[in-house]
Amino acid sequence: MTGAMLSTEALVAGYERDLPIVRGIDFAVQAGELVVVLGPNGAGKSTLVKAMVGLVPIHSGSVRLREIDTTSTPAHERIRRGVAFVPQTENVFAMLSIGENLLVAANILPRGERDRRLRAVYGLFPDLAARPSLKAGQLSGGQRQMLAVARALVVEPSVLILDEPSAGLSPKIAAEVFRTLKSINEAGVTIVLVEQNVKAALAIADRGVILVDGKLRHEGPAASLASDPVVAELYLGAHRRAAVVPA
Amino acid sequence: MIAQALMDGMIAGAMIGLGAIGITLTYSILRFANFAHGELITWGAYLALAISGGLGYLSSTLTAPIGPFSFGWSLPLAGVLAVLLTGALALLADALLFGRLRARRGTVIIMVMASFGAALTLRSLLEFIFTSKPAYYTKALQIAQPLGGGIRATPDQMLTLGLSAVLVLAIHLLLTRTAIGRAMRAVSENQQLAGIVGIDVRAIIRVVWLLGAGLACVAGIMAGLLVQIRPHMGHDLLLPLFAAAILGGIGSVPGAMLAGLIVGLSEAIAVQVIGAEWRAAVAFVILVAVLLVHPQGLFGRRA
Repeated sequence: MTGAMLSTEALVAGYERDLPIVRGIDFAVQAGELVVVLGPNGAGKSTLVKAMVGLVPIHSGSVRLREIDTTSTPAHERIRRGVAFVPQTENVFAMLSIGENLLVAANILPRGERDRRLRAVYGLFPDLAARPSLKAGQLSGGQRQMLAVARALVVEPSVLILDEPSAGLSPKIAAEVFRTLKSINEAGVTIVLVEQNVKAALAIADRGVILVDGKLRHEGPAASLASDPVVAELYLGAHRRAAVVPA
Repeated sequence: MIAQALMDGMIAGAMIGLGAIGITLTYSILRFANFAHGELITWGAYLALAISGGLGYLSSTLTAPIGPFSFGWSLPLAGVLAVLLTGALALLADALLFGRLRARRGTVIIMVMASFGAALTLRSLLEFIFTSKPAYYTKALQIAQPLGGGIRATPDQMLTLGLSAVLVLAIHLLLTRTAIGRAMRAVSENQQLAGIVGIDVRAIIRVVWLLGAGLACVAGIMAGLLVQIRPHMGHDLLLPLFAAAILGGIGSVPGAMLAGLIVGLSEAIAVQVIGAEWRAAVAFVILVAVLLVHPQGLFGRRA
């Protein structure tokens, strides 16, 4: 784990103390990497990333950002330390305009920095720049996802964590989201991506980790994981088994 | 006669509106109906009375009426201090009671029952300290001035209306044009996401208590100035306050003020048309009608 941008050590987390969902995970992402977290439903992917950003109680183990322990850092402090999170659902303020969504996020920046960052983000997402006064609740699913990513990028995070950003999107829009994430990563932002869309996620990732039943079962370079029979067994196999279990 | 009733209704509505803004802010951000809000109105009125009396005791020139008004500088000075102290009282109640229940993930009904308990405690404490005898900021008599169209109003009443309009505009601008206002609206919509984007939700909750209590205090001072100060004055306003907050749409400041005026005017017209004994029923009828027909109110968002 030494030198990792973001890491967990023996992490046990979940909403109830006696019912942990993440059960002792050692995970690390290096600076500049794009790591995809895969696994069947209920494997603990979302809980792992939510625990890393302070949204799920951690029962034991630790979370470290650049070797500094952030296990008990409040959620609203993590973004100030460079960790931005985009939840799967309800990831924009629907009653606020596009501009207000970005301004709310930019508020933690020094006053002189805000305009520069807003201009930079609007440059990345010209669709949002075209109508900043539109209420976020009026945007389509794909546009909302882009606004959520833009909102996370306003603060120039070191690490961007996304929970299933392609969920509910059409294949065309999902492909656009993945292209955008790849270009953000190429610009130097470390990304941790939870995804169900295995093929598309591995296509843009450097590395993948696979969780099963709250534990890290397998990991490796994205290119080799895509054709790894162990992955097919761990990931797809779980679905196949589920499919033959009588109701 | 009706024109004068409308004027009286506007004045009563302005006080209801200010109180309802506090209710709608705490409801939208803390997610429970705070039945102790009426007691913040009463405590605000009594704190201003005590401080104003103290200032008058120190300097009799402070009690000399300002221009056409019935009160001296002791009251506005006391009002500023009372707003701060009522805010501190609300923060104390949050630290001792509501904050602890939130930390234990207390359900809405637990919070509401706790607010009932807080209301009883605060009201009883006031009666113990000040007795239940009505009190007044000033004994000076004011003559209502003709405003045209058969309408008359005292300078104190006109000041109350003007101050209400200024405060509503100020709160509306705060919510829509400032960073703290945007943060309050963000917390009101989604507390978890607000935390993710770096908003300190606990700090916003403290701001909401201070704002709501401050406005309650101003409403209490207005009611005390125009009518009288009694330990039950805030409690008696509770139903019109909730009717206005729900009619305006939870979370909407202009909605709460407009609905406060509607409730005040409806009460005044009811007194003229049906009879004074039906006044209290008007707010209840409005409350039930809104909940049945248009629960999101005039400006509220759909659930």
